[in-house]
Amino acid sequence: MPQVLSTKEQSLFRTVVRNYEDKQYKKGVKAADQILRKNPKHGDTLAMKALIMNSQGKTDEAFALAKVALQCDMKSHVCWHVYGLLYRAVKNFEEAIKAYKFALRLEPDSAQIQRDLALLQIQMRDYQGYIVSRRAMLTGRSGMRQSWTALAVAHHLNGDLAEAERVLTAYEDTLKNTPSKTDFENSEAVMYKNSLIAEQGDIERALEHLESAGKHNLDRLAVLELRATYLTQLGRKEEAAKAYSTLLDRNSEYKKYYDGLIEAMEVHLDDLKARKAVYDGYAEKYPRCDAARRLPLDFLHGDEFRDAADKYIHRMLDKGVPSTFANLKHLYSDSFKKETLPSLVQQYIDSDKSSANEEPKRNGDTSKGASAAFYFLAQHYNYYLSRDLDKAMEYIEKAIELEPESVDFHMTKARIWKHNGNTQKASEIMEQARSLDTRDRHINTKAAKYQLRNDESEAAIKTMGLFTRAETVGGPLADLHDMQCVWFLTEDGESYVRQGKIGLALKRFTSIYNIFDVWQEDQFDFHSFSLRKGQIRAYIEMMRWEDHLREHPFYSRAALSAISVYIRMHDVPLLNGANGVGHSDADDAAERKKAAKKARKEAQKAEREAAAKKAEPNKPTSQGSEDTKKKDDDPDGAKLAATTEPMNDAMKFLTPLLQFSPKNIDAQIAGFEVYIRRRKYLLALKCLLAAAALDKEHSKVHEQTVRFKLALDKDSETLPPKSLEVIKSEFTLLAAS
Amino acid sequence: TTGDIDEEVPIAAKSAEDRKAAAALSTLDNRDDESSGKDVDQEAVRKAMERLGGAGATNGVVTKKDEQKVVKKAIKVDPADVTLLVEELELTKIKATDLLKAHEGDVEKALRAYIAPAA
Amino acid sequence: MDIRLLHPSDIPHVQHANITNLPENYFMKYYLYHALSWPQLSYVAVDVSRPKKTLYDYPRIVGYVLAKMEEDPPDGVQHGHITSLSVMRTHRRLGIAEKLMRQSQKAMVETFSAQYVSLHVRVSNTAALRLYRDTLGFKNEKVEAKYYADGEDAYSMKLDLGFIREQIQDEQDAEADEGEPVGEL
Repeated sequence: MPQVLSTKEQSLFRTVVRNYEDKQYKKGVKAADQILRKNPKHGDTLAMKALIMNSQGKTDEAFALAKVALQCDMKSHVCWHVYGLLYRAVKNFEEAIKAYKFALRLEPDSAQIQRDLALLQIQMRDYQGYIVSRRAMLTGRSGMRQSWTALAVAHHLNGDLAEAERVLTAYEDTLKNTPSKTDFENSEAVMYKNSLIAEQGDIERALEHLESAGKHNLDRLAVLELRATYLTQLGRKEEAAKAYSTLLDRNSEYKKYYDGLIEAMEVHLDDLKARKAVYDGYAEKYPRCDAARRLPLDFLHGDEFRDAADKYIHRMLDKGVPSTFANLKHLYSDSFKKETLPSLVQQYIDSDKSSANEEPKRNGDTSKGASAAFYFLAQHYNYYLSRDLDKAMEYIEKAIELEPESVDFHMTKARIWKHNGNTQKASEIMEQARSLDTRDRHINTKAAKYQLRNDESEAAIKTMGLFTRAETVGGPLADLHDMQCVWFLTEDGESYVRQGKIGLALKRFTSIYNIFDVWQEDQFDFHSFSLRKGQIRAYIEMMRWEDHLREHPFYSRAALSAISVYIRMHDVPLLNGANGVGHSDADDAAERKKAAKKARKEAQKAEREAAAKKAEPNKPTSQGSEDTKKKDDDPDGAKLAATTEPMNDAMKFLTPLLQFSPKNIDAQIAGFEVYIRRRKYLLALKCLLAAAALDKEHSKVHEQTVRFKLALDKDSETLPPKSLEVIKSEFTLLAAS
Repeated sequence: TTGDIDEEVPIAAKSAEDRKAAAALSTLDNRDDESSGKDVDQEAVRKAMERLGGAGATNGVVTKKDEQKVVKKAIKVDPADVTLLVEELELTKIKATDLLKAHEGDVEKALRAYIAPAA
Repeated sequence: MDIRLLHPSDIPHVQHANITNLPENYFMKYYLYHALSWPQLSYVAVDVSRPKKTLYDYPRIVGYVLAKMEEDPPDGVQHGHITSLSVMRTHRRLGIAEKLMRQSQKAMVETFSAQYVSLHVRVSNTAALRLYRDTLGFKNEKVEAKYYADGEDAYSMKLDLGFIREQIQDEQDAEADEGEPVGEL
């Protein structure tokens, strides 16, 4: 039987809870201990103490204590709730949900437990469970709009749009008065409902709803955009055209609006003159507009293209806009345009002056026409579709001669060296560019990147340190981790791969993996926050993005690099690496041997320290506890590099890669490499088939097909007959095709 | 009590920008504590709840689930085949069983479908 | 360069642009906080001409403005605040920063009835000062000593948004005359 507290202790218990909520952990533990002195088996107090200890970073002790609490009082919802919270804290969401459900069964009316359960369910995308929870929560607080909205969101995410809309309507019907125009929550609810109607495909009704309920909506841009879209979808062209011109008057730098307008105006795509005229109108109306001048270059041909491009180039070069080339290089897929653009720039140089320029030059511009033109040509000859690096260098030197202090020009000069394959010279020149403007982080970033490309790891972090926050404990590298600086960690890791420092390389790639974990966890607070704020459409959008977060190229790049490192580790194992392999692999093995030794040493040291700690159990945890908690026990990745099962470790990176980027051929190729080494032939074949479906002519696909056949011939006896049957028939289809 | 305070406050954010960010983020998971809406008609709420409860969601969901269960039960699955799928495709037991059931318990069909490239 | 609203999926690249260009950096969650609290206020400039290398490429962000409404404003006046604004060096002199700012300012008035918008800028950042003061019309409010982590002072600047309110009023009057179905605020 659970122990019962006296009145005085009950009040003390409430203090413990309050202490926990106020984050006064020491006080909380003290009060809990006071209760436990008299009632050592009081489950709820033990549980609360465990919860507090967990907040103090003592996870293992907290779990142990929570178990004791449960043994003392299996029927306590507090104990189960705490157990769930502990699991939640270590991100074991499945176990946490189970524990919450137990707690809720014991205390069905607890809003707190219900809420915690609901949040985990939606985080885990258990939509059906979330619907049930949200219904229960609605019953408790049916007077509040957000309870209804939450249920609608639950149905929406579960794919039941009609039910979601019904829930919103049910709430609207309970309102006594029409909400005021400035009621933001209502304004957003209207737009959310509108999105539900449109998503059901009933555009007619969506437009009707938008024009009635959405008439005075506070999100005016959304109303204007949706109206334009709906009118187009409904074939009401004239009104759609008007809607798009309203949008262009708000923002004339959005291609989508021009496309919408031209479609609605029913201008024939072949009627280039008419299309151009539309853009000309906006160019005239908005003298500072870039899109109206640039976009026609995409569809114009021949002389018309030449004229328009000439005007555009004059305008940009006169102003010395550094992105002129970047704005035009996408046209290079058309060979006529690729020839025409540099010749126009050459003419510009030869004529030495712009005639079409009607705008006065702006103050403070240092790049004058000629240097901007040389700069354009340098970039032209540096571009992969029109590359001639000698000419590129010639033009960039001319530009630099005119403006010796230009950061941009030196940046491009460094790029030319990079394309020459001379990473050292590239790094030097970029450093020179950096010294021209030491207060600009952009050029600082580039300098560090080029140092990394040249494997100057130490110099690069020093360069980065010029702009990271000085007060961060752990220096620039820690700051870059804190600030989730993905590009640096990736480049740093890739540089370590080139240097054969496998541990550090894996360490960086793992950091990126962890950053994505954090980004996924980041959505958690918004499940409740967004409902409170009432911003539902943005929340739904976030949820859908988070669902496939790891398809991001930031992830795939790091994952592919990590996997290739693990593959090399598998192929050149630690102990026999020196035999019969090339020189670099031998270095590699030696490096890893060293790393393994270091890892063993560090593990021993950690053990000793732990033993020493045990010897003095009453040593108070000082302020340093925060630091020790954060301290990395493997800063150089020695432990990562010391793995004996690199193929298993590679799976951590591979699984999300294949799940979220199945159409990335490099992902499938990497998948094959891992699975074939693990002798998972069906899965290797799955990757091979997927790669072949993406690009049959890819050289790796051919190579892997051959290797698959060889491996299969060798290993076929070990395979289960049913698998072998399937593999053979599916592989034959591939090989034959 | 200063010790208490020091202990709970993480490394102080130094610049004003950092302080702003930290303050904003710390309020994200505030528990909602609003009173119930003043502008709603309680009687209408009651009726709306009833409507939802009647032909509403939960019942719908439950029936759907039940239907699925009924369908699942009708298909026999060889435990050896489940083991094969778990081993060869590295699926969980639940997923392996679902995959088999989706292919009428035919293991070869299931394997073929699983390794086929997505459209 | 498209100028358009910021979406949650843009955030990794916005974060990348920020840490490439500026010393004041934030976690992803802080960007999410902006995008999910005031989704109407933050804008990005996007290079849409780049061909995708894989199916999963996200558009490259060459500039962004991260904006918010001041929560519980000390002066009790609804107003917006610019948390961060930057444009990649390779895309300067196209007026991108100004265009981003104007979109954000308009939405601050339309959606959240902002009376003014405030921001901080390094006292040494002459290019930014030119944009805010000369192009956009911000006024120096005061100097905040040692505002930045490296000890540099900030100008605290303000722009009254009354002119946008009037502009919107004019547009509405014009629409009312034409009998446009989407009416006034």
